[in-house]
Parts: sequence; C-alpha cells; structure tokens
Amino acid sequence: MLAALRLRAVERIARWARKRQGEDGVPLTLRARRLYILPTRAGYTAGALLFVMLIAGLNYTNSLALLLTFILAGFVLVGMHECQRSLQGLELLSAQAPDCYAGLDGTLELRFASAARAPRRALTVRAGSGPVATFDLAPGAQASVQVSHRCALRGRHRLGRLELATTAPFGLFRCWTWLHLPVEVMVYPRPLGTRPLPPAADGRTARVAPSVSSGEEEWASLRAYQPSDSPRSIAWKTVARGGPFMVGQYAGSAGRDYRLSFSGLELLDTEARLSQLCAWADECARVGARCALDLPEVQVPWGHGAHHRTRLLRALALYRKAAQ
Amino acid sequence: MNDHAPGRASTGLAAAALLVTAAVNWHHLAWWCLPLLVIASAWHTRAVMRADTLPGRGARVGLTLIITCGVLLSYRTLNGLAAGATLLAAMSAAKLFEARTVRDWQVLNGATLFLLLAACLDRQQLWRLPIYGLCLWLSASSLRGLGGGAPLSVSILLRESSRQLLYAAPLAAILFLFFPRLPGAFWALPGDGSAITGLGEEMTPGDIARLVESDEPALRVRFFGALPPARERYWRGPVLHDFDGATWRRHRATAAPATALQLRGPSYPYSATIEANAHGTVIALEMSTPPAVPGVMYTDDFQMLSRRPFNQAQSYELTAYPQALRREELTADTREIDLALPADRNPRTRDLARRLRASASDEAAYVAAALKFFERGGFEYTLTPQRLGRHSIDELLFSTRQGFCGHYASAFVALMRAGGVPSRVVTGYQGGEWNPIGHYLIVRQSDAHAWAEVWLAGRGWLRADPTAVVSPQRLSREMLAFDDDTGREGDRLRGSRWLATVLQSWDALNAWWQDDIVGFNFTRQQKVADWLGFGDRDWQTLAIALGAGMAAWLLWIAWSLRRLSQKMRPDALARAWTRIEMSLARAGPARAPHEGVLAYCERLGLTNPSMVGALTPLARQYVRLRFGPPTGAGELEDFLLRARRFGRHDVD
Repeated sequence: MLAALRLRAVERIARWARKRQGEDGVPLTLRARRLYILPTRAGYTAGALLFVMLIAGLNYTNSLALLLTFILAGFVLVGMHECQRSLQGLELLSAQAPDCYAGLDGTLELRFASAARAPRRALTVRAGSGPVATFDLAPGAQASVQVSHRCALRGRHRLGRLELATTAPFGLFRCWTWLHLPVEVMVYPRPLGTRPLPPAADGRTARVAPSVSSGEEEWASLRAYQPSDSPRSIAWKTVARGGPFMVGQYAGSAGRDYRLSFSGLELLDTEARLSQLCAWADECARVGARCALDLPEVQVPWGHGAHHRTRLLRALALYRKAAQ
Repeated sequence: MNDHAPGRASTGLAAAALLVTAAVNWHHLAWWCLPLLVIASAWHTRAVMRADTLPGRGARVGLTLIITCGVLLSYRTLNGLAAGATLLAAMSAAKLFEARTVRDWQVLNGATLFLLLAACLDRQQLWRLPIYGLCLWLSASSLRGLGGGAPLSVSILLRESSRQLLYAAPLAAILFLFFPRLPGAFWALPGDGSAITGLGEEMTPGDIARLVESDEPALRVRFFGALPPARERYWRGPVLHDFDGATWRRHRATAAPATALQLRGPSYPYSATIEANAHGTVIALEMSTPPAVPGVMYTDDFQMLSRRPFNQAQSYELTAYPQALRREELTADTREIDLALPADRNPRTRDLARRLRASASDEAAYVAAALKFFERGGFEYTLTPQRLGRHSIDELLFSTRQGFCGHYASAFVALMRAGGVPSRVVTGYQGGEWNPIGHYLIVRQSDAHAWAEVWLAGRGWLRADPTAVVSPQRLSREMLAFDDDTGREGDRLRGSRWLATVLQSWDALNAWWQDDIVGFNFTRQQKVADWLGFGDRDWQTLAIALGAGMAAWLLWIAWSLRRLSQKMRPDALARAWTRIEMSLARAGPARAPHEGVLAYCERLGLTNPSMVGALTPLARQYVRLRFGPPTGAGELEDFLLRARRFGRHDVD
C-alpha cells in the first residue's frame, strides 16, 4: 500500500521532471539544475541521531558534546555537497542500444567521461526498475557501462527513463537525475516455438535467386580443398594469410535453404507465428543456413550471415508496427 | 541497496573507532565490557579472514539477553550515563558478531559516536581532546567507506575524511558561538553516584590528608583588578556544623537574609572557574557577594550552593569583600546547633575549656587564649598523624600533639563550643599559585584547608585559623610564592625554571580550555551577543549572526567543493596547440573532434597547401612531445616559442 503510494508519487515527480528538463541530447553534461538530492533512510536516522545529541548537549549545557554535534553536522553537510558534486559535470558521451528480444533483457551501452579533478564514486545507472549497474570514474577517465533493460513488446521503441544516481561519499544522501535519451531500441519478437524448420528448398534453385550477400562470408567449419570444389567456396582469407587451400562449409545444413513463411504457420495467432519465425531465423543463423522470409506485406530475399539475420528479425519486429 | 558488504578498510576503521571510543569510556564502563568488545572484534576479524558464517538468530537473541542482564546486574538499572554507555558498548560488541552489511556498519558507527558523546558528557579535560578527535576521525573515515562503489584504502579514507572534517570545522565554530544555548537543564539523567574527588561533604580528620596528595586544580581565579593580600586568600567551601565526636557534617542549609553581609573595605571582583565537584558548592573567596545566577542559593552560613552537583567546570563572576562584617544576630536554633558537642566524649577538652574560659575576661579573650594554647602547646604539623581513638580531641590535644589543619580546626571548634562560644568548621582552600603566563591564580586540591569560625556578640562571625598559629610556615610558604607575581614558584617546582614554564603554560592552556570552551554557556553567549550587538535585543543579534555565519559557510563550501567537479586545466602543451588551432580556424576549417592532429594537417593541406608548410613540422613536434618518449625540457620550450611565433606570423 505504502509502496504503491510511493511509486505513484515517484512517477508523478518523474513526469514533472521530464516536463521541466525536456528531451536530452547526446553528448550531455549534467548541470546542477537537473540534479535532485534527498537523504537516504540512513541519512534520516543520522539526522535523528544528531538531534538527540544536540538535545543532550543543550540539556547538560555541555560545550564539548555540542561541539561534537556541530562538527558532525558540518561533516554531514559537506558530504551532501560532495554527493551532488559527484554527479555535477559528469558527461555522457554516447548511448547505444543494440537490438533485443521482447520479454528478455537487452543491454544499453553508455559511455561516461569525467573531466573533474576528484574521482566520482559509486555511480549507479538503472533503466526503469531493472538491475543497477555501478561504476566509478577516476579523474579525467572514461567508462563504458552496460545497463540491462527490458521491453515487453516488439517493435521500435523509444528508450525509457534512465536514472543516474550516487550515494557517495557515505550513503547518507542520494543524488540522482533522470535521463531521457533520444535512443531507439529495436525489439524483436520473443524467439519461441517448437516447430521444426520447414522442409528445405532445393539448394541449386535457391542459389540462382539473387543472393543478397552481406559480403562477409561466415563459415561454420573448414575442410581441405578438393579439385571438384567451386572456387567461390575457397576460403581466400586463409590462403592470403599463407595457409593451405581450404573450403568453407555451412555446418550440417551446408547447401540447405529454408523459406520461412508466415502463411505456412496456420493454427497460430500473429504473435505466435512471429515468435516461431524469429526462432527459425535464429536457428538458420546458428547453423549458417540460407533463408528467405515471406510475410504478408514484406518479403526478405535469400541470404545468410549476421546481417541477414538482423534484416529478418527487424522485419519481424516491425511487422504491422510501422505506424508506431 | 545497503545490503552489500562494505570494504575491509571501512570495517576495520569502524572497529578501531569503536574500540578506542570504548577505551576512552573505560572509567564508567562495567569491567567486563572492554574485554567483550576486544573478543568480539578479534572474533569478527577471524571470521572475515576465514570467510566463516556469522552466528544465527538464536545465538544473537541469546547474547542480547545475556548482555542486558549483565548491565542490570552491574548497575541495577539501564538508565544513567554509565549504564547507558555500558549497554551501548556491549550491544556494539554483540553487533560485531553479526555485522555484515553496510547498514550494520552504519549502526556500529552510530553507536561509536554515541559512546563518544557519553565520554564528552562525562569528561572534558583538555588532554582528552586529541583522543576524542581521533575517535571522531576514525569513525568519520569509516563512514566514508560506506557510500558504495569500489572499496577504498585506509589512507584514502583517512585523508578524505580529514579534509571533510576540516571543511566542517568553521561551521562547528559558528554554531558553537551562535547556536542558542539554554540557561539550564530541562531534563536530568539520574547521577551514577560516583563521587568526584575534592572537598568532602563531611570531615573526619584524616580525610584531608588524602586530598593533599592530589595536585589536581580545584579552581582558577582571574582578578579583574588588584589581588587581595595573601593572608586574605581563604577560599570558602562547605561549612560543617554537626559533630558526633569523630566526624563533622553539614547541617541542612537555609537561605540567608539579604542583609546578612555588611560590606566594607576594599573589594576584589574576580571570576572563578570551579572544577567539577560532587557537592555543588561554589568555592568563593571570603566573603563574596552572591553571583547573579539562578540556581545558586546563598545560605545563612555564607555558602553558595548550586542546586545540582557540578558534573563539569563552572564559571562564576563574584566580588569579594575580605573585610566585610557578618554581624547578623544568631538565632536560637543556630546557637544550639553551633554549641552542640557529644556529652560523653573528650572530658579533658571540656576541663581545659572550663579553665581557659574562667581565666578569660570575655569571649574574645577566651578565643585568644585558646589560640595561644595551640601556639604554645608544642603541636606539630604533619600530614601523616597517628590515628585517633574514641576521645579523638583529648588524644590530639594531650597525647599525640600532631596533626594537620583538619585536626586543629576540629579541636579548636570543640574547645570553643565547650567554652560556650558558638563556632563551626569551614573547609575550603587556602592560598593558590600565581600563573604568570595565564595571569590567574590556580588553587589546587593540595591547597585544601580547614579553619574555624567563632561568633562573638556584637562582632558577628570571625575567622580563627588554629593551623596558622601551630605552623605559620604552612601558610607562609604559599605566601612567599603569592607575593612574588613574577613567576617564582613554590617548592613544588624548585630547581627547574624551564619545567615550571612548561607546566604553567600547559595549565594556562587548560584554563583557557575550561573557561572559554568547556565553560562557554548561556551567559557567555549573551556576552558575545552584547559584543556584536546593537542594543539589548540579544537573541536577535544571535539569530542574525547564526544565519549570516551559516550562509557564509555554505557559500564557502560550495565554492571550495566546486573544484571537485571542475574540469582539469589543460597543460601548457595542450594550451599552446589550442592557440594554434584557434588561429587556424580563422583561415580554414576547424579540427573535427575525432580527428588526429596529423590527419588534420593533411586535410588542411588539400585546400591550403601554403599554410601547411609551416604547420606540419609543428604538428609533428607536438605529436612527439605528447605521445613520444620523454624529452628534455628544452624541446617543450622550443615548441612553445615556435607556437607563439606561429600565431603571430604564419597565418595570413
């Protein structure tokens, strides 16, 4: 109950902050205006402790006790300033979000730099209610931080609110800021489905089809050259390095081609079909098979390799989502 | 968020702070408390080193119960400073057995700071200050390690926390001066019943011998004008009326009428800082007018009694009139109290009194004859007299004939009472030592003294000091030291001027500490407000000073901490190159952020070949200086010179 209220209040404040801060650009330098600071629970306890000390000192008109209280109060206040200073002036150099699957953790890669003279410690970044990534920055250093985030739905999404916070130097105060970065994440359908790959198409006819080769051939394994092998399948890179003549092979399914068809998956709803297609596309990429994708409005031609996989998955992610 | 384990540097510092702070409190902790803490720390260290598991919930609850019972057994209460401190220290020891997370260690640091507070409330001597400071420093350093992030080393924690404490010091000073103080206590912890050494509430001749051993200061006195003559330096403490044959005790005090003291003669305004004492008597130069402080009662036997014992040094401003008359009428009650003697004791003393009284014409002559008896009776002043039996005064006067001030004052008063002269024993101090560095008089516990007061019709109460006639040198020793205000010390320090100066400086420092820091209270704060103020609205002045001081401190902190987030200033090499680029930017495209210096030169060469002729060697030199192996200082100088010239001539 209390937690729910708290969450609602935080959401409201965050919306207000979003309105007053506006959209962020990258690179970004944190200014004092957008830093918020509050005592932590330990900080409130420390405040109560100081109050008791003050009352004791006043009651006994004991100067030494009061002196102790006052110097501790100063110590805490200096710490508060230091806490805010460990975020102020921090630079965000870049933010990149590789594609991810719906319902699974994706990774957001942030690169921070600090030009300050003092180290910045115990910095934490968090996307939504995901896990916290912690990092320290030495004076003048840069650091890459990987933050996991989770998207429930496939499609192209704007990255949600990020929270960058610190409790340095002693955990009595927490200074934070909210980042609203112009980063879009491509979220693939969740790779689910137990159906086996559709029957392989005829390899030779497939090879005649215009192959959209990404230019980087991916071999699952190499074997020694035999006179009957096509020169196209020779691993020229190995030869260039001074190695023997080798021939690339697509493991297990070498020469097999699959046509991944939406309409072939009857009895399933749209999302389940997309999930199955997604799982197949991953499977094809894993074994190095060539494949093509047929969606009702979109066709992805034959191809193989990592780039081809990305094309397939993006097509699946954006299927009937283009309007969004 | 606080459930991860902190770094070892931080926990080690917290344990050290706890141990030192508990050790500082050893005088009021139960005997078993410190060993328990040491064992707990050792156990914790071992468990951490060997990555053992910490005890379970049952063991912890059991330990807590045992500790609570232990404190109850030791003190019969959980209330009060000593019991509270013991409970806190013991519970901290228990917490050490289960301390794991950041929150646990934050709690332990809180306990340490509370123990430090208990020590501050209890003892305020100057020599303790560095130890208290050490406790604070260790605990603060430990706290700094609990903020999260990568564990830091002990030296970094100590360095950063000392910087933070130094930043905090001015605020502490401002708050200390201007934070409103209260005139008195509004709530009292029960006292712990332990007496503080000093004058007793009662006197069995023999008590004062123990006091003589102590060189502790009893009070320090600053005179605003002239010093009273040495023979007048009697510092009045508890006055004793009731005698049971062995022990003199106080009588219930009643407040004095305002007219009791008839002031005359020279006056000596002074301020006295009185060290902690258990009986709450304001030790004052005879005869001082009462201080204008609430909570001090002026009694009919001219004592100044505070309502509460002094747990810490107190300062009073008083004025003494050594020649004032105490000519009030003796009430029947008082006469009865001050003539009472146990009937079944000291028969020979009664005989002597009867004989002397019969041969004296009046009471004044009787007092004089008694003093003469002490002067001529062959008495010896010694600090180690023989023990006295049931008829203690008879034995002193007629057989042992040796004793110190307590013996003689006691015997003299008994003699007076036996002769029908109302009299009483006054305890206090006599003399004092002049501190030429601090310009004050220090009266030590070893100056403790006892003398008598007799009441004569028409003349009131008069001081009679039998010890002075038995052993004039007992008093003259101090008098020699007194009358020489240039720093010649008494026989305590004979032989070493250097040592004397050091000791006097130390004492002067202590006096300053006691007067101006420990003794800083409501009254003194009002004085500060007066000194700053504009008129009589003291609290407003204080509030303004407090607000302004805090605002100034906050600005100062914000300004000094700004450098933490400020960018580092580029070095001379980078500045020189930036200047070159700025002059190039006027003529051509600027360097892109991703572009190296040499690549930039190449790109410029495509459009402005004329410019690059001078620039490329300079860029090569810059790259060599920046990224190449170390070179002599000469090359850097050369580059800087050429860079300056480049800015002036080569870009057109």
